[in-house]
Amino acid sequence: MDYEIRIEGNLDPRWESWFDGMTLSAQAGETLISGPVSDQAALHGLLARLRDLGLPLLSVTRVAPEQSA
Amino acid sequence: MPVALVETKLFRPRPRAGLVPRPRLAALLDADGSRLTLVSAPAGFGKTTTVAAWLSAAAAADPARRIAWVSLDADDSRPEAFWTYVLTALDRVAPGTGSAALAMHGAGQPVEAVVATVLNELSVLPDDVTLVLDDYHAAEGPAIQAGLALLVERLPPQLRLVIITRADPALPLARLRARGELTEVRAGDLRFTGEETTAYLSEATGLELAAADVAALGARTEGWIASLQLAALSLRGREDASAFIAGFAGDDRYIVDYLVEEVLDQQPAEVRDFLVGTAILDRLTGSLCDAVTQSAGGARMLETLERRNLFVVPLDDRRRWYRYHHLFADVLRTHLVAEPPERVAGLHRRASEWYAAEGESALAVRHALAAGDVERAAELAELAMPALGRERREAVIRQWAQELPEEVVANRPVLAIGLVGGLMSSNDFGDVERRLVDIERQLALPEGELVVADPAELPRIPAALEMYRSALALNAGDPVTAIRRADLALEMAVDDDPLVRAAAPALSGLASWALGDVNAAHASYLVAIEGLHRADRIADVLGCSLALADMELTLGRLGDGRNTLERGLDLAERHRPDGGGVVRGTADMLVALSRCAWHRNDLGASAELLSRSEDLGEDAGLAQNPYRWRVALARLRAAAGDLATALELLDEAERVYVGDYSPPVHPVHATRARVLVASGDLDGAQKWASEHGLRADDQLSYLREYEHLTLARLLLAQETPAALEDARGLLDRLLRAAEDGDRAGSLIEILALQAAAGRDVAALDRALSLAEPDGWVRVFLGAGPALVPVLQRFVRERPDRAFARRVLEAATGTGTPSAAPARGQHQLVDPLSEREIDVLRLLASELDGPDIARHLVVSLNTVRTHTKHIYAKLGVNNRRAAVSRGHQLGVLSAGR
Repeated sequence: MDYEIRIEGNLDPRWESWFDGMTLSAQAGETLISGPVSDQAALHGLLARLRDLGLPLLSVTRVAPEQSA
Repeated sequence: MPVALVETKLFRPRPRAGLVPRPRLAALLDADGSRLTLVSAPAGFGKTTTVAAWLSAAAAADPARRIAWVSLDADDSRPEAFWTYVLTALDRVAPGTGSAALAMHGAGQPVEAVVATVLNELSVLPDDVTLVLDDYHAAEGPAIQAGLALLVERLPPQLRLVIITRADPALPLARLRARGELTEVRAGDLRFTGEETTAYLSEATGLELAAADVAALGARTEGWIASLQLAALSLRGREDASAFIAGFAGDDRYIVDYLVEEVLDQQPAEVRDFLVGTAILDRLTGSLCDAVTQSAGGARMLETLERRNLFVVPLDDRRRWYRYHHLFADVLRTHLVAEPPERVAGLHRRASEWYAAEGESALAVRHALAAGDVERAAELAELAMPALGRERREAVIRQWAQELPEEVVANRPVLAIGLVGGLMSSNDFGDVERRLVDIERQLALPEGELVVADPAELPRIPAALEMYRSALALNAGDPVTAIRRADLALEMAVDDDPLVRAAAPALSGLASWALGDVNAAHASYLVAIEGLHRADRIADVLGCSLALADMELTLGRLGDGRNTLERGLDLAERHRPDGGGVVRGTADMLVALSRCAWHRNDLGASAELLSRSEDLGEDAGLAQNPYRWRVALARLRAAAGDLATALELLDEAERVYVGDYSPPVHPVHATRARVLVASGDLDGAQKWASEHGLRADDQLSYLREYEHLTLARLLLAQETPAALEDARGLLDRLLRAAEDGDRAGSLIEILALQAAAGRDVAALDRALSLAEPDGWVRVFLGAGPALVPVLQRFVRERPDRAFARRVLEAATGTGTPSAAPARGQHQLVDPLSEREIDVLRLLASELDGPDIARHLVVSLNTVRTHTKHIYAKLGVNNRRAAVSRGHQLGVLSAGR
């Protein structure tokens, strides 16, 4: 499953390794984190890491693989 | 204790000097009437600092204030760890309140019972206690939630619970909020206001910043203290503050990232290297940092960092251990990612080596795995297992079973069997059979293909395989297979393999016992005890000796039972820990000896032994002791004719009951029924029989022998022709079963009952002959008044049988009375008042503090004052000990 997660703030691409296989792209005061997430447990782990950085969560969307940005 | 405590987790953080006072937060936290205080906000909002500062001020104002603090982490999501820390923290600030609950928890009792026990103590505590759970989000999970919800639901007024977390806990917050019982401090509250920001920046930077600059910083950081702190650090020593602030305000990069880089850029190279190198560590101390960074001066560096407020947090009073603030550590770790992977692996490797040298195998393995050194991790694990087993820290091994990858376990048989041991000790049987099959596969491989770090263990594997299969069989309810495999394991045991030589016979014994073959169980237990003794597991020797004595009594060998227990006492005496404690299990020996004395009708000795046991204190008893002690005392009270108190004690015994591995062959409810029969409450006893589905025509099994004998007593007492006929039929069948099973102890009781039922002198004769060598007397009294005429006739016809006369005298109360147990308060320097005795009686019940107050029509504070005086006068510090002491002094008997 692919997910697109939007957070408020600009996260340096260096943080990509923190998110284990996801891609980061900054867009006007937001960062889009997108890529494959193996299962729900992995998703919640990812969200917990975002929480621990103190970055406001804007949205979490599941996308079909061919549609991901 | 199954969990080795990390002391720093119980350390209450002290706020740094120079913190900006924030009275509006203190006012929020001081709110009256709330039971739960929730401080919930994301990382870096100053939650811990705020609570620590608030409590420090409270402690300064009132030094007697009891504050318990637990800093939680991911390892505490296991209930064993979580509750051990919570109960220990409570017990440290309110001594005595947690000890009963800790003992139950250590014995594996369900969390609900453990929590209920500690609540029971807290609800009558004279003083108030504050309990802080920091970083609760790290531990939260379904395993913890249920227990915590129970605690919150029944929170006594004395306990103020503070939860610090990054995510709202799954507790009924809405309900608490609606009732005004919740105090919340959230991100919105924790954000620094304009005023607070100004004060903070002024203090932290030493600069007088322009109002516009302060406003810009406030706007950019939104009052988030973590970023304010970083900004302040960046500003220190900078000449043009305004320019920096303008640049910062205009940048929209992740604020922490930006600022940490600024801060790092300003540090000398050695500090930067230190910070980035040690970021992999959860906890830091000088020599560990030196090892990891391959330099010197780590301790001094940490002190410097603390002084300069560079995000290290001290974990103890002595400035030995620190950790990084989470956000800072996270950013540092991303810097690591930019480094070549070999560098990071090297850092972890050196950390692993340091921990291995310190004997901290759990962390050594963790870091080895993080370094990607799977083979080394496996080797460390394999070598650490014997010590972990001895220290009863099998929970660590269980985690390794999950963390170590399959491929490294697939050719390491010693590691593999060790992991199985860890899983078995934690009662985690699911995966075990698969692993055992795999180990067998490995043993069939040529030796060259196996990797073994601990070669001494290799030849022990085949026996261990059989032993674990035996345990699985026992657990699956197949005692016959369990015995077969356990005996096979023992045959296959090489050298003095301590594990198999102790555990296999114990398993076999348990299985035999469950089958009713007490002789075989006895023989097995003797072997097990020998094995345990050689392995120096003294507490286990005592535990098994108790079971052995139990079996000896069943076999009619009262004298052997006493000897077993005396030997146990002797062993305990010789192994007393330094510092004057006693081995846990000593009290249990004394209680069991008390029971033996009671069987001989030596009531004075019985009472004295029980008293001695109680005097040793709670640490001297195994988790089962509280209920056994109460049953023993109940028997004494019943013997003295005080049946009401006996029943109360048995009720208490059921409330504090903790089981163990042995089959429950003397259930308290059956003992209670016997007291009911003796007191003439035949309706009550009949109700018991119906509730437990006991009938005279039941199929018999050894496991229910005691209950069926109790039923026989009831039938006898009912005295109707139908009941007597039922009794006789039941007793005939019980007799055959006991003869088949060679259970002389049971035989004596059955024959005595038969003698009473059928005026059967021959049965009495046989019973007396069996009973005489070891002096079984009370069993005859248990047969009830119907036995007396039979005894009288026997004594007339056989004046040569002195023992028979002794039994008759006991039954008719005409013999030399053995010294009655000392009763009354003359033993107390300061006796309890009438009112205090009333309160003590209620402390013996299940009622909590507020209910006791309602019952006595006084305020809870009055109850607490009484409790305080009661504890002082009785020389105890908890409710259960007060009740025990009260019973011992006879203050709680009769006349209610």
